Amino acid sequence: MKNRNFVNLSVNPCKMCMPMGAALAFKGIENSMMLLHGSQGCSTYIRRHMATHFNEPVDIGSSSLTEQGTVYGGAENLKKAIKNVIKLYNPEVIGVATTCLAETIGEDIAHITDEFKAQEDLRHLPIIPVPTPGYGGTQFEGYYAVLRKAVQVLARDRAKHRKINVIASHLNPGDIRHIKGILDLFKIEYILLPDISRTLDGPYAEKYRRISAGGTTIEDIRCMAGAAATVEMGLTVDQKYSPGRYLEERFGVPLHQCAVPIGLANTDAFVNLISRVTGKLVPARLKERRGRYIDAMIDSHKHNGQGRAVIFGEPELVYGITDLCLENGVKPVVIATGAKNNRLKELLKAGLDNMEEKCVLLDDTDFETIQKYAKDLRANLLIGNSDGKWIEEKEGIPLVRIGFPVHDRIGAQRKVSTGYEGSMGFMDAITNTILENKEKAYRKTMYRKYYKGDKKTEKMTVKTTLKALNPVAGRKSNEEKTAAHPCYHPGAGECARMHLPVAPKCNISCNYCSRKYDCPNESRPGVTSEVLTPGQALEKYIEVKSKVEHLTVVGIAGPGDALADFENTRKTLALIRGEDPEVTFCLSTNGLMLPFYANDLIRAGVSHVTVTVNAIDTAIGAKIYKNVRYLGNRLEGEAAAKVLRDNQLAGLRYLSSAGVVCKVNIVMIQGVNDSHVPEVVKTVKKCGAFMTNIMGMIPAPGSVFEGLPAIGDKALHEMRKQCEKDIKQMYHCRQCRADAIGTLDNDRSGDFRNTGCHVAERVNDRQKPAKLSEREKACTGCAVNR
Amino acid sequence: MADLNAADIIQEREEFICVNAKDKDESLKCDKDSIAGTVSQRACVYCGARVVLNPVTDAFHIVHGPIGCASYTWDIRGSLSSGPEIYRNSFSTDIREHEVIFGGEKKLSAAIDEIVRQYSANPPKVIFVYATCIIGVIGDDIDAVCKAAERQYDIRVIPVKSPGFAGNKSVGYKAACHALLRLMGENKRGKKIRGINFLGDFNLAGEMWILTDYLRQIGVNVVSKFTGDARCEELMQAPQATLNIVQCAGSMTYLAKQMEQKYGIPYIKISFFGMEDIKLSLKRIAEAMGDQSVMEKAEQLTVEREKEVGPQLAYYRERLRGKKVAIYVGGGFKAISLIKQFNDLGMKTVMVGTQTGKAEDYEIIRSISDEGTVILDDSNPYELEKFMLEKGADILVGGVKERPLAYKLGIAFCDHNHERKHPLAGFEGAVHFAQEIHLTVNSPVWKFVRGEGAG
Repeated sequence: MKNRNFVNLSVNPCKMCMPMGAALAFKGIENSMMLLHGSQGCSTYIRRHMATHFNEPVDIGSSSLTEQGTVYGGAENLKKAIKNVIKLYNPEVIGVATTCLAETIGEDIAHITDEFKAQEDLRHLPIIPVPTPGYGGTQFEGYYAVLRKAVQVLARDRAKHRKINVIASHLNPGDIRHIKGILDLFKIEYILLPDISRTLDGPYAEKYRRISAGGTTIEDIRCMAGAAATVEMGLTVDQKYSPGRYLEERFGVPLHQCAVPIGLANTDAFVNLISRVTGKLVPARLKERRGRYIDAMIDSHKHNGQGRAVIFGEPELVYGITDLCLENGVKPVVIATGAKNNRLKELLKAGLDNMEEKCVLLDDTDFETIQKYAKDLRANLLIGNSDGKWIEEKEGIPLVRIGFPVHDRIGAQRKVSTGYEGSMGFMDAITNTILENKEKAYRKTMYRKYYKGDKKTEKMTVKTTLKALNPVAGRKSNEEKTAAHPCYHPGAGECARMHLPVAPKCNISCNYCSRKYDCPNESRPGVTSEVLTPGQALEKYIEVKSKVEHLTVVGIAGPGDALADFENTRKTLALIRGEDPEVTFCLSTNGLMLPFYANDLIRAGVSHVTVTVNAIDTAIGAKIYKNVRYLGNRLEGEAAAKVLRDNQLAGLRYLSSAGVVCKVNIVMIQGVNDSHVPEVVKTVKKCGAFMTNIMGMIPAPGSVFEGLPAIGDKALHEMRKQCEKDIKQMYHCRQCRADAIGTLDNDRSGDFRNTGCHVAERVNDRQKPAKLSEREKACTGCAVNR
Repeated sequence: MADLNAADIIQEREEFICVNAKDKDESLKCDKDSIAGTVSQRACVYCGARVVLNPVTDAFHIVHGPIGCASYTWDIRGSLSSGPEIYRNSFSTDIREHEVIFGGEKKLSAAIDEIVRQYSANPPKVIFVYATCIIGVIGDDIDAVCKAAERQYDIRVIPVKSPGFAGNKSVGYKAACHALLRLMGENKRGKKIRGINFLGDFNLAGEMWILTDYLRQIGVNVVSKFTGDARCEELMQAPQATLNIVQCAGSMTYLAKQMEQKYGIPYIKISFFGMEDIKLSLKRIAEAMGDQSVMEKAEQLTVEREKEVGPQLAYYRERLRGKKVAIYVGGGFKAISLIKQFNDLGMKTVMVGTQTGKAEDYEIIRSISDEGTVILDDSNPYELEKFMLEKGADILVGGVKERPLAYKLGIAFCDHNHERKHPLAGFEGAVHFAQEIHLTVNSPVWKFVRGEGAG
């Protein structure tokens, strides 16, 4: 578990700061205006964040501390701020919360505000000072700290009355309206604090009010000291922040703490608690709602049972959501909160201990940690606020939005997830997300998993094809594999291969290369329409295998260099080997990293390796390679050519001595290395190459060599003939794409593009799949020669 | 403050507000600290620094401070990347009480270690370390920490001094410019590359891509982009360029001036917002390159694209003519461009204000807006409400915080901020802009809040 006390870096925060919670709580007090004592930015950021969630104007004053205030104290700034806020807003109560800065320079806001009241003769004006340093906790603690302080400052009237206090946890205005509706059904009198049901979700009105209407009245808060009881939502709240605890200790108002009424048991507990403390029976309407919710739970249970959820957010909400999930058979696999909170752990322990599969419980955590677990534990649902959209985007796990902030969807402020009805709506959102995902994928999943083909194609599966080619069952020798490799054996023309574009990075820069553009009509090495993750590559392989006859070879040919991106290459090979022990693995590389990975390749079962060697003479190499990026250094000129050549040849020697079949590709470039080719051929032969493939350079637009002439077919053929005296030659090369599929003569990659699998949306390096504009589709050109 | 009912304005604020009157030479106060308690719409120094540097896609941005600053700025901007996505993460040292008492240097250097370790597969080239409000106050020497890390790892670790209280957003822009200068280094009078640096576009919704494509089409080479879709490596090459073009003047003029001094690169100001400015800018860039073929291609591009978007703009112009606009945006450059665009659409700007405009910006605003237009600096919800209602604005152009206010007042709204998801720059942007204004101003919903359908 990543606990923030043991690491020093928070990556993608799963929490906000205390002043945010303070602002949310103050918004629930009628005619109140809040001021933050600190830099201007704190109030602006909080206003912006709240405005996006609630879609309401949120005005928060700031003492706008400057350098001077920071050095000499900010009392004057704060006093001026209070004065200006009074002039502009005429509030009935003012909340003053501190920030990191005010606390660090040691501002005593209680003293400053008292002084202000005395100086301005405003003794009647309640001012609620709350220390909320950003480093002291999260919005969760800030929220309750304000409620407690508001009660401490305002609840002075001890006269006993029949009303009950209801302390609401941080919920949406829609939830607060719904909870008030439940209380109204009991026909009881109550004081609900804080009440944001109108202040943060007000109706449109002819006349605009700068302080929005609604909120708990000051008079009501004053009377909380004499209430019959307090019902406080907040099982995970530290008692030092509990307003109900204060009222009990100071005025003897009995405190009953409960969870947020989300889910059946929590709503039952809340409803029964209200019934008990008020002596009123549970209203029939509520009983009916309860019955309907249970009915709905039954209707959905089988779908919900497939849910594997990551739940994150503020501790109190997380607790409620977890209960709802457990009740409905949705399996929580990760439960996380950014706040440091032991109570949540203790509360959840009992319920989770009974689970067959252990659930990861994180507090004081960040989204990077949550993301990691979500992935490892194969979650299929995220439940929490919009900050989870990052994981949704990166891991493709759908997010059910609840909590604060929800700023990438409309209507968060009026959403209801509490009570029987709200729980039902929220559960439906979960179920429907599961259903939507299933609908999207199940046809394809079933097809891949179970479709084995009709009789005609059955013969053509990989296994049967290989069997036909080689009746002796079991592991093939490399010679046998060569016989079924369309590139290494001209007679294997009916055998198909597929290239998996999983390696976008490259570590050398060749002057004939330009991978800027993709073009579906082009067919050149280095060109691809998509880049796949290893997982996607596996999916694609499974699909292609079921549909393409005689698929005998899986190759990795970039679109960069397979070894420059070795992690992806290695993972892809391992995944496919797990699925298919027979298929031939083939790989092409510039050879720079061969001395490092040759053993890994052998271990991964790669039987065929193609190395592109264009020059032995480093002076010629220097003309071909712009640079070589090797072990953190960027080499140029002959130094670059030398390192590259040495590694290529060392790699060739090692691989061929280990029985790997090595082909060497040579790009023949007019006026650069054309007369040098025979020497290359002779040298690589000595190093153990099985054959060479001499190719004419394709002048790629955008590359340094774009202006050079192409090698004529005749010259190429003559060169091959000449070199054939030394080593076997390839005459049937089609210079295929990095995502080629099919036989050499029939590229079918178009049939599988973006259909079998999604285009990889994230590529770490430069080679993002290029999106084509209309103009570029007119074929600006593309190409590499390798 | 002549001719205004000023009874309800905070007295100290009066000098920051004026009504455009061409015959009077009334100067507007601006570029000052916000007045406490006026509910300024401004953010802070850190915010300014972060918006400018954040689009550098392969840089690591560590916010050294308590969690809030990192949390509120995590991936909320619309700057797009054509490759690395490191910048979309929010790294923070998440300072706690312990560090406030004992100092945060250790935690910062450990955080840098963690990044280097964790990302060893794709090692960081540049780390920006933002110092927020309390870092200086608790006595952390981030210069020393950054320097030590640079030595240890042989990468660039650049401090960005951005304590929130040290001024307003413009101070943050300057801090970012200093960080960029540091990245480029002192002595870069090396081999020149014929081409430009594009300063002051942040690739919101792909705007940088649209604009650099224009430049490519007219034969102008772009050496580096500040900072939309930028890579550290290209920024380090910037001193070799032959010309700087500056779009977002508020944040980047300072950098352009510094680069002129240090590297001898001249600069021109341009803007790709609105037809008039786009045409003029393409022409000016072509002239500055001093190449006849570039000038011809620029002319050709302008003619072609104008022909393409002309009819679309005419469609909207017809539907928008005579509507009244209120503008409240971050900087002067944007406000000026907007007034021109609205003039082009036949709309009348009745109120215009900025958070961080400079005296010279307000001079231009005054010269291109009509008499009677209310001009405001560092305004607040109270004043915006007052003047929009008094002037009968049909639409407000602003940022996220202003949107709910406009809607509550029954006024249409156009988001012209860093979070938008459609481009407003360039020829296609001009059409998007007119379309958005039309969608909001002429929406049927307003019937129910004012006019015939109102209850």
